[in-house]
Amino acid sequence: MDISINGAQVLARISGVPIFGTVDITMTLIMSWVVMIIITGVCIWLTSNLKVTDISRKQAVAEMGYEFIVNFVRGNMGAEFDHYIPLVCTIFITSIVSNLISLLGVWSPTADLMTELAWALVVFVLITYHKIKSSGIGGYLKGFLDPIFVMAPINVMSECFTPVSMACRHFGNILSGTVISALIYAALTAANNALFGALASSMVVAVIFAVVGVVLFLVGKKLSKGLFKVLGIILAILGVLAIITILGADYPWLTIGIPAIPSLYFDWFGGCIQAFIFCTLTTLFIKQAAGD
Amino acid sequence: MQFEYQSLVAINPVTLIAQICNLFIQLFLVKKFFLDKIKAILDQRRAAADLEITDAQAAKAEAMEIKATYEKNMQEAKAQANEILDRAQKTATVRGEEIIRQANDEAAHIKQKAAADIAQEKKKVLNDAKNEISGIAMTIAEKVVERQLESSDHDKLINQFIDKLGD
Repeated sequence: MDISINGAQVLARISGVPIFGTVDITMTLIMSWVVMIIITGVCIWLTSNLKVTDISRKQAVAEMGYEFIVNFVRGNMGAEFDHYIPLVCTIFITSIVSNLISLLGVWSPTADLMTELAWALVVFVLITYHKIKSSGIGGYLKGFLDPIFVMAPINVMSECFTPVSMACRHFGNILSGTVISALIYAALTAANNALFGALASSMVVAVIFAVVGVVLFLVGKKLSKGLFKVLGIILAILGVLAIITILGADYPWLTIGIPAIPSLYFDWFGGCIQAFIFCTLTTLFIKQAAGD
Repeated sequence: MQFEYQSLVAINPVTLIAQICNLFIQLFLVKKFFLDKIKAILDQRRAAADLEITDAQAAKAEAMEIKATYEKNMQEAKAQANEILDRAQKTATVRGEEIIRQANDEAAHIKQKAAADIAQEKKKVLNDAKNEISGIAMTIAEKVVERQLESSDHDKLINQFIDKLGD
């Protein structure tokens, strides 16, 4: 079978737009807007009916989230950078929701490099702003000649690669999750075809599987042997699924449930940790730029 | 239906610009609908807590003031009581001494009077005794004289004398 891993789907192509020429309305944009609507909706829901005392569970969660972000920014940057709380908070929430939305089977905006690059460029502008602010434009330019002038090209490159590396780190992790999910899905489909190709070749085999499974389960239950029971259940389920397949409902059964196990790491863990890393780097880079 | 896809790693300036705009729109929305609201409520709560603390401090200060006043009053009252006691003691001492002195005076007076009385009485008794003795002497002298005059009546005279003595 063919496995194709593509970029964002292009939903519409508008040509003849001034300056840009052809504009693609991609799935990335649509899903970004969906993510924005979800986040804004959750924000409005969380902050509705706020009270000073006797707070609801919902408000407690909202306040906890707020405290988390504030402590995160203050811990990494100090209290004098409190005005960066909204930016860091926005990137963090948007990143997490964008990463996790892929669990619903839709296109994740962070699976498009442009999304992360957009965030990283904003951060890069801030880093540069703080560098120039702290050491002046002359000092900033002079910094490229440090420690000796021949290092200048390398310094310029390392400066330019800050946003690129930030964007690519996040994008690469999400992409790897997407790729591995696709591979696992394809592999499970292939395994499914092989397994049920054999099982569902004749009704007799399928029925034998189901009956043997049930018998094994009952024997295991009588002798209270766990292994027999588990084996019996697996055989019985395979037999029943084979019968259903023969009856006409052809479905890649193995792709149900099993991909959720690797997705626990690649989507849940990876998604959260990348959002965290991106925000940590944002705060640290800005702090570093302002500190020098 | 055949979908059209971008390549896996595509550079798309329109998406890039759109995502930058999206970030700022999202920033504004998150700030307006989440951060500002939560911040406002937290500030409100902090203000309420501060107010409570200020109130408590004011109440405590007031209580301390009342306590100080009370203690001062107590001290004053104690001092006053001591003063009263002292004064009473002094007065009592003075009065006692006076009473004793009066009593002594009176006793001395009474003693003196008694002594005078005794002396007077003594004098009187002595005078009386003197008078009596002189009387007796006179009488005895009379009798002696009388006997010399009439010796016959000697016995009668003696008896008479004894009778008179017996009276």
